[in-house]
Amino acid sequence: MKTCYIFTVLFLTTWSCITHAKLSVVTTTTDLRALTAEVGGEFITVDSIAKGTQDPHYIEAKPSFMIKVNRADLLVSIGLELEIGWLPNIIQGARNPKVQKWQRGNLEVGPMVEPLEVPTGNISRALGDVHPDGNPHVTLDPIRAGQIALFIAERLGELDSEHKETFVKNAQAIQTRLQEKTKVWQNKIDHSGIKKIVTYHKTLTYFLNRFHLENPAILEPKPGIPPTSGHIMAVIQLIKEQKISLILVENFFDPTVTEKIKNNVPTIRSATVAVAVDGAPNIATIDELFETLINTVCGR
Amino acid sequence: MNSFNQTVVFVMLTVLLLASPAWSQSAKGKVFNPDMSANFLGLFQRGTALTDDRTEVPHNGFSLQEAELQFTSDVDAYFKAVALLGIAQEAGTTEYGIDPEEVYLETISLPNVAIKAGQFKMAVGKHNLLHSHAYPFLDAPLIHQELLGDEGLTETGVSAAVLFPFSWFSELTLQALSLSNENLFASPSSSQTGSLAHLKNLWDLTENLTLELGLSGVTGKNHFDKTSTVLAGDLTFKWRPAEGGKYQAFIWSSEFLDGNRKGLTDEVTGDPAEHLGGMATWIQYQFAARWWIQARYEELGLPHPASIPSEKKQSALIGFYPSEFSGFRFQYDHLKTQGVADDDHTFSLQYNISIGAHPAHAY
Repeated sequence: MKTCYIFTVLFLTTWSCITHAKLSVVTTTTDLRALTAEVGGEFITVDSIAKGTQDPHYIEAKPSFMIKVNRADLLVSIGLELEIGWLPNIIQGARNPKVQKWQRGNLEVGPMVEPLEVPTGNISRALGDVHPDGNPHVTLDPIRAGQIALFIAERLGELDSEHKETFVKNAQAIQTRLQEKTKVWQNKIDHSGIKKIVTYHKTLTYFLNRFHLENPAILEPKPGIPPTSGHIMAVIQLIKEQKISLILVENFFDPTVTEKIKNNVPTIRSATVAVAVDGAPNIATIDELFETLINTVCGR
Repeated sequence: MNSFNQTVVFVMLTVLLLASPAWSQSAKGKVFNPDMSANFLGLFQRGTALTDDRTEVPHNGFSLQEAELQFTSDVDAYFKAVALLGIAQEAGTTEYGIDPEEVYLETISLPNVAIKAGQFKMAVGKHNLLHSHAYPFLDAPLIHQELLGDEGLTETGVSAAVLFPFSWFSELTLQALSLSNENLFASPSSSQTGSLAHLKNLWDLTENLTLELGLSGVTGKNHFDKTSTVLAGDLTFKWRPAEGGKYQAFIWSSEFLDGNRKGLTDEVTGDPAEHLGGMATWIQYQFAARWWIQARYEELGLPHPASIPSEKKQSALIGFYPSEFSGFRFQYDHLKTQGVADDDHTFSLQYNISIGAHPAHAY
């Protein structure tokens, strides 16, 4: 038994001394991975836990993710309870003190970019899957995405001070580029004539807010609750009253629910959209994500 | 209620009082309160082998199967602590008792290893680590109930779980445990300690499919001053597609337990009752966002002593889950016991409710 303990201690000591030349970063979502990869460039390696085609609320805490996080220098997540159902188990199972919450190797970007839809007053689960600290889909606003790039750069710079300037410079380039493109994208939206959009879930809140688009109805009766016939009938009524011409369904939801609406409102256009990098084959960067969304809204 | 239970109730009430707004100085002060949640399992059963005597567990009709209260929090920069108290009916009475199902602290500051101390579910097999609200079926497999008891193998002790530096998930858990379990050990001496080893491996076969293989063994002195040993193996395939994964998934799990309780004899006949093994295999298929169908096959008595009849059981379950926090499950069981002419049939309907802090779901 004593030999076994000595072996274990030696094993752990040796292993913990293994160092990596590049900073190893794990992100919870593909959007964060795309931003981090561009900020860190050749000085980091980065991997995402969620796939772009998955609903980030419901990722499973696979032990293979614990292995990724075990070897990470930095874990970047959204926070705002987006990952609450799975990330705590991954962190606990990873056995990596560097990425524990409140450590320098753990960065939650959501609370840093002025979340929208922060509930006021008492909230209850009877309201559905509400997020007490605000809507977590912050990366779907290009301006906030630029701010997030800067926060990631600052944290990477703290962990690798030698390349801090490069990280900040890369992040500033992302921010400037997204600010410029946002003006172009806004112009396209303005010319499309689209003012109101129905969505399946409140995933696109930040996107719609940034581009001054209204979201008068959600296909879910409450966040996280699948559509019901009665609610869909109420949405159809509202679409007719407000002359809404577009429904966007995030591509991890079942789009067949829109068939009933299209039967009742033949003129309405319905599109399934990717809402994350890698959510579709042609979306490999954060810019391509927004361009695809803008083109879908504009009907191209 | 014995003095230990009174102590537990006192601790629980203290925690609840501390969590109440009246005792918190400010909203910020509340962030230091533990995450609290409660699970309730309600049951309605009809079974040919079940009695109408409501002091029996289980019995025909309505019952509160179990309520679980859980408190979790970081203790400081080095540890987290978990207290999970189970409230269930005590057999032979209509009274309910409180048991500390798990009360332990665990390290959060050590690299590659998690050290745990306290009372916790021991890592023998895979199913034994589950709390009743997370059971794939309404009940534990027969071999688990027979070898490890209704509550499973829960002991006080220490545990070290080491992660190997392999490309796949490979974890070795070594545990030292008290030997209080009535079915397996019932060691009369509190100074005697048992030992357990568990090796868990999980491979991502594809992006959507994982294979988990676990091997474990536990040994310690028993009531007869001889050795009790359980060897266990578990195998699980889990499939959930990256695209459309909200609406479909498939799980196939199997578990085998082989127990040898040296010195154990049948209380009536005095015949040996030492060596008992059994297996359970089950599939779970999610066919819609909120619906699962499941089937299970079990054999108790692989091998079995002459004094313990072998049993074969088939179960079918359909589950509806309105949200992450509520579920309703209907289960049918068919049990054939060696040497008994009539088979047993049981129908059960269960609700499974969770309130409080959002749970983090184990894989």
